[in-house]
Amino acid sequence: MSTYSDASSVSAPAPRALRPTGFSGVVPALAFVAIFFIVPVAALLLRSVLEPVPGFGNYAELLGSATYLKIFANTFIVSGLVTAISLLIGFPVAWALAIMPGRLASVIFAILLLSMWTNLLARTYAWMVLLQRTGLINKMLMGMGLINQPLPLVNNLTGVTIGMTYIMLPFIILPLYGVIKKIDPAILQAAALCGASLWQCLTRVLLPLAVPGMAAGALMVFVMSLGYFVTPSLLGGTANMMLAELIAQFVQSLVNWGMGGAAALVLLVVTLSLYVVQLRFFGSQNTGGR
Amino acid sequence: MLLNFDRLGWWKYALLTITILAAAFLLLPIFFIAALSLGSSQWLIFPPPGWTLQWYRELLTDPRWLESAWTSFKIASIVTVLSVLLGLVTSFGLVRGTFLFRDALKALFLTPMILPVVVLAVALYAFFLRVGLGGTLAGFVISHLVLALPFSILSISSALEGFDKSIEDAAILCGASPLEARIRVTLPAISHGIFSAAVFSFLTSWDEVVVAIFMASPTLQTLPVKVWATLRQDLTPVVAAASTLLIFFTILLMALVALARKVLKS
Repeated sequence: MSTYSDASSVSAPAPRALRPTGFSGVVPALAFVAIFFIVPVAALLLRSVLEPVPGFGNYAELLGSATYLKIFANTFIVSGLVTAISLLIGFPVAWALAIMPGRLASVIFAILLLSMWTNLLARTYAWMVLLQRTGLINKMLMGMGLINQPLPLVNNLTGVTIGMTYIMLPFIILPLYGVIKKIDPAILQAAALCGASLWQCLTRVLLPLAVPGMAAGALMVFVMSLGYFVTPSLLGGTANMMLAELIAQFVQSLVNWGMGGAAALVLLVVTLSLYVVQLRFFGSQNTGGR
Repeated sequence: MLLNFDRLGWWKYALLTITILAAAFLLLPIFFIAALSLGSSQWLIFPPPGWTLQWYRELLTDPRWLESAWTSFKIASIVTVLSVLLGLVTSFGLVRGTFLFRDALKALFLTPMILPVVVLAVALYAFFLRVGLGGTLAGFVISHLVLALPFSILSISSALEGFDKSIEDAAILCGASPLEARIRVTLPAISHGIFSAAVFSFLTSWDEVVVAIFMASPTLQTLPVKVWATLRQDLTPVVAAASTLLIFFTILLMALVALARKVLKS
């Protein structure tokens, strides 16, 4: 393949690799992204230090009030819980997927992809109905005699955690699957030959080898959960707001652009710094967060 | 041993149980919605006392639902075309080009994927209020395109990276003009990437809620916004019917992708 480029570089004054080419191709997209992405986001963040008066008053109010701190706490607690539960369920599933016979694995994969691509609102609506006081989950639990009174599963953080774990599960299973699939079975065989029990093989060999994948997947789920809007606002009820909903409320109902911009910046800084951590330590991962 | 399914002993059954339960957990809401949309009880009782198509009838005879579905379809179609065209031109620049900050630029183009959508939604809402695009079709298309374009660039450039450029050069040596070689040799070879770009773009726009909530006006709203607005009032089974249609559409598109992959790659 080099012969053709050599032939063409004879007539070219500079070696092909040094001559900048192709930039004109990216100009339309660059213009589009600059106008409709960079400018609006930058303008929003600027308003946080300019409105209503220039200065850092919005940030002082945001980080100094108990109401807002509770919202930050809600956001981090729910995101942490969702991440932990997804990891706990996701690891065995990813492990099983990696070693299952092909046909069963492809059925499970189809289910994972189907749920990932099914409309978010549709799935959240399903949980609103499933989790309500007279919903299927409460009826089943009461039918099995586990509880006497219906549990309050919706309009609170329990509902948010269930609904979000459901949504995040595929996002942790897929990267974990990739990591486990790459582990050489010979390493585990060697451990077994050296006399390790199954439990020792798991805790001293398999789990440590999967740690990078677990950390990367967990970080991704955590970051995505921090910025989630639809599921928390439908399953959470008004008393248990999360950060994304706070931003929306500042802007839509209170028309307070300064505070909205400040809250957006906080979310953005946390999100981007966690992504930098992830890129630095675990390489890039595909995401699809909303 | 731990990576050999048949030699896991009773651990095998534990793993299988967890996996099947997790799969059931993932499927439950999808089936449940479909069942509710056919149930005759207005109070979403499950299992329903009887079966009916009443909610679909209500959905399909209500001009507001139809209009929002049509709006969604229109926006998603325009977004798909623009996203694929822009994605193609950009991918050629990014994959074939040699210029400063090429990788940084690619990273910039993909940032809308990782940004919390609510930040983008609020930012665009403020911007569109200023420039008068709020609540317009153009506003919807632009904001959905910001979200769809990264997917498009990603799938087309990875297809293009996998294509051996010397084949295109060979076509040029055989007398094709550079443009002709691109259209008749390269584009067909990367058609699977273009096709997934189109499907991803369509689905991104079709399923988009957060940005759309901020873009919507009383006269112009997409189907997800209509679902959202209805859900805030009550949990009527009509929403289950609308959701089932949304899901059905997604499954149809996914099946198309799987089919196209088979056809295009063979």
